Amino acid sequence: MSSKRISKELRDIERDPPTSCSAGPVGDDLYHWQASIMGPPDSPYAGGVFFLSIHFPTDYPFKPPKIAFTTKIYHPNINANGNICLDILKDQWSPALTLSKVLLSICSLLTDANPDDPLVPEIAHIYKTDRPKYEATAREWTKKYAV
Amino acid sequence: MSISVKSVAAESLYKRDVFRSPDPFAVLTVDGYQTKSTSAAKKTLNPYWNETFKFNDINENSVLTIQVFDQKKFKKKDQGFLGVVNIKIIDILGDLNDSHSTSTKGKEETITRDLKRSNDNLAVSGRLIVVMSRIPDSTTRSNATANTTSTTTTTTASTSSRSQQRNSSTGTHRSSRASSTANTNTTNAANAAAQSVENTLQSGTSTSTAAGAATTTPGAAGASNTNRQYSSFEDQYGRLPAGWERRTDNFGRTYYVDHNTRTTTWKRPTVGQTDDERNANTELERRQHRGRTLPGSNSTSGSENNVSVQVNTNSSTPAVNGAVAAAFAASGSTTSGLGELPSGWEQRFTPEGRAYFVDHNTRTTTWVDPRRQQYIRTYGPTNTTIQQQPVSQLGPLPSGWEMRLTNTARVYFVDHNTKTTTWDDPRLPSSLDQNVPQYKRDFRRKVIYFRSQPALRILPGQCHIKVRRKNIFEDAYQEIMRQTPEDLKKRLMIKFDGEEGLDYGGVSREFFFLLSHEMFNPFYCLFEYSAHDNYTIQINPNSGINPEHLNYFKFIGRVVGLGVFHRRFLDAFFVGALYKMMLRKKVMLQDMEGVDAEVYNSLNWMLENSIDGVLDLTFSADDERFGEVVTVDLKPNGRNIEVTDENKKEYVELFSQWKIVDRVQEQLKAFMDGFNELIPEDLVTVFDERELELLIGGIAEIDIEDWKKHTDYRGYQESDEAIQWFWKTVSEWDNEQRARLLQFTTGTSRIPVNGFKDLQGSDGPRRFTIEKAGEIQQLPKSHTCFNRVDLPPYTDVESLKQKLTLAVEETIGFGQE
Repeated sequence: MSSKRISKELRDIERDPPTSCSAGPVGDDLYHWQASIMGPPDSPYAGGVFFLSIHFPTDYPFKPPKIAFTTKIYHPNINANGNICLDILKDQWSPALTLSKVLLSICSLLTDANPDDPLVPEIAHIYKTDRPKYEATAREWTKKYAV
Repeated sequence: MSISVKSVAAESLYKRDVFRSPDPFAVLTVDGYQTKSTSAAKKTLNPYWNETFKFNDINENSVLTIQVFDQKKFKKKDQGFLGVVNIKIIDILGDLNDSHSTSTKGKEETITRDLKRSNDNLAVSGRLIVVMSRIPDSTTRSNATANTTSTTTTTTASTSSRSQQRNSSTGTHRSSRASSTANTNTTNAANAAAQSVENTLQSGTSTSTAAGAATTTPGAAGASNTNRQYSSFEDQYGRLPAGWERRTDNFGRTYYVDHNTRTTTWKRPTVGQTDDERNANTELERRQHRGRTLPGSNSTSGSENNVSVQVNTNSSTPAVNGAVAAAFAASGSTTSGLGELPSGWEQRFTPEGRAYFVDHNTRTTTWVDPRRQQYIRTYGPTNTTIQQQPVSQLGPLPSGWEMRLTNTARVYFVDHNTKTTTWDDPRLPSSLDQNVPQYKRDFRRKVIYFRSQPALRILPGQCHIKVRRKNIFEDAYQEIMRQTPEDLKKRLMIKFDGEEGLDYGGVSREFFFLLSHEMFNPFYCLFEYSAHDNYTIQINPNSGINPEHLNYFKFIGRVVGLGVFHRRFLDAFFVGALYKMMLRKKVMLQDMEGVDAEVYNSLNWMLENSIDGVLDLTFSADDERFGEVVTVDLKPNGRNIEVTDENKKEYVELFSQWKIVDRVQEQLKAFMDGFNELIPEDLVTVFDERELELLIGGIAEIDIEDWKKHTDYRGYQESDEAIQWFWKTVSEWDNEQRARLLQFTTGTSRIPVNGFKDLQGSDGPRRFTIEKAGEIQQLPKSHTCFNRVDLPPYTDVESLKQKLTLAVEETIGFGQE
């Protein structure tokens, strides 16, 4: 079930890669992928390239893929372990979603953070109260870790 | 103390690639912070390293971990993993303080251990050979430190140069890090070296990405230069206490393994945490376990209380005291009565508004309305005194009467004298059961019926079981498996080795308590926690890792049967589906909710949406067995049959059946074989799955104030009338009804040890939630994934009470759907 679906997604991604993202298996393990996302130009992450590790469960697509940033990033919805707080990776997951749709959602999360449902409350607080400071720090981290 | 470890060789490593042999090297870690690694052997499955390392500050809890990796794939932490061996040093080298003993000093121990898998379950094979010895304490302290420093610096240098070779683009960045590492002071040197290794593990990421990802820009190389991957002995809060390890289960949840006591826990241990604190937690669990009861059954777990409750029929005083009240609170009769209170009685209210009753005659209080007490009144010989007896000690039926079951397992009574039948128990006053919800009456009756069956009668003689407290699992296994089922039906006499104390109930209660904590402990891989929360358990489909597992399942089945037979409760709660399977009921999609909420939601989505061109499924499933993904047909030739909108219903059914039942079929059979040796199948099927949970685990005392305090509201305020009525209704209920409400909302009657604040949902902590939803003519609905009840805004307390009772009652029938 899952291997067939994952192979199909791989073919689709190779044929029609999503904008500013890339993804593919690590080695010969079909269930373990790596992806990269380019920081959106209209965000403080612009110019950075962020890497993510992706693990597909054997029940995929009945269960969401496990995705985490491996590149350090300063963002209210992404914590120090790289875990991402995104509804479609949790209770809003639907088997109709694909990895490339998820990656695009993560891209848009970089542009529009969701400080009302934060994973890192400290960053969310700065995001809400002192936007220039948040953007400066995010830019600094991008330069330091993602360029 | 210091030790020397020679990493000699490994043999028969797992061949992960068909055309290529790995370049294996070993990473040695002591207690997670002293890390050394060997050089890599080239292209072999039988590497020979023969490199010696020294480790300091070994204590009695020190654990040596040796991991083998393929250097070609070793780009990121845990990649290229070829196996791991954990060695508790004291087990090999003996008493560490006994440095004067010539027999152990300097003696070399050669150890061969099978390589084990890590958490990601990649297949592993082969053995590792190491030689360990103690380094005599005569080495001066300063020397030892100097040695460490030089060793670690070397390690740092070699690892960083390795990373440079492999990934030149990160070279500058990396070497500056490496040199800064080398500059750190000696006390931190070991730590820093470990860090540096971690860095190295990280540094390759970009290379692999470049290879794996099609459109990576060149500037991306070296991007993931972080050091936040922690070893399994530390995390962002620092080091774990000695002997502890951090692991991740197959649902990605972090848990902690205590190698000292061979236990696991979800709670992160702290270095300062004493055994006392952990014991205090166990004590809390023990107390909760002891407090469990069943209605209609006199000598259940709370028997010590009940013993004092037993009304002396020779006594002439009306036996209304606190203890009786306690028993009745359990057996359930707190609904308010009618008419005037008996003389000397007064009704009062607690500050929370709960009614209680004061008996000024005996100066006692009780929750139980004296007008509602379930007594049999028999007039004494002089006709002046009334002898009272609680329902739970009803004794035999009158002559000519018989108790029977309908085909829906409802108890009824046949009066052969008059050739009539009735729902009402002839031993009870006929007016008694009015206003008592039907289902409750039925459970109590079912228990009475169940207990009255000849197959459940205790046989003459005694069944002696002697165990060592520390070895309870193995000892109990030996003791219980060597006896015949008939022996096990004799009066249970449990003895803990070296402890005084005759088993009048307390000892066997302790026995079942301790044994449940052992045999259901996921540490032994027989059971695992469900994906729903972190306390309900299910059979581990991969339990076959233990070749003896089926014998153990038979044993566990026997123990569960033994508990039910001898009226002792287990401290364990299964997923709802497992109780259904015990009753041989068909498992349905609905049951998936308690097993795996995500899969449940997806299967539901499938049924509700068109899957044409969206899901690419066949009638098969992928199962991971020790790192290998195996395709399983859900029906003959299933992998070649497409799932369409027309046949998806069948697929959902088959998939649920496979996921919940088929994967544990063997284990379940062994478990049931053991269980049915004590409890015949046709008797246990009297109960439904929720009642079976209560029968096995008992009903806990439920603290309404704690429940209320940790409840969230959506669309309601706590001050809203509907919410006030809700709590009023619940506080009027007895424990059984409360337990059933909990089952209805959360899927299990279990309450976390630390109370409702620790309630878990399928995605972590989830407090009990009441949401305003639904029309007032509808019944409340529940979402067990989220511990949530949808309560329509009823307009009066009576309809709320009636609808809530009905909803809780209705769910019991859902197994028959």
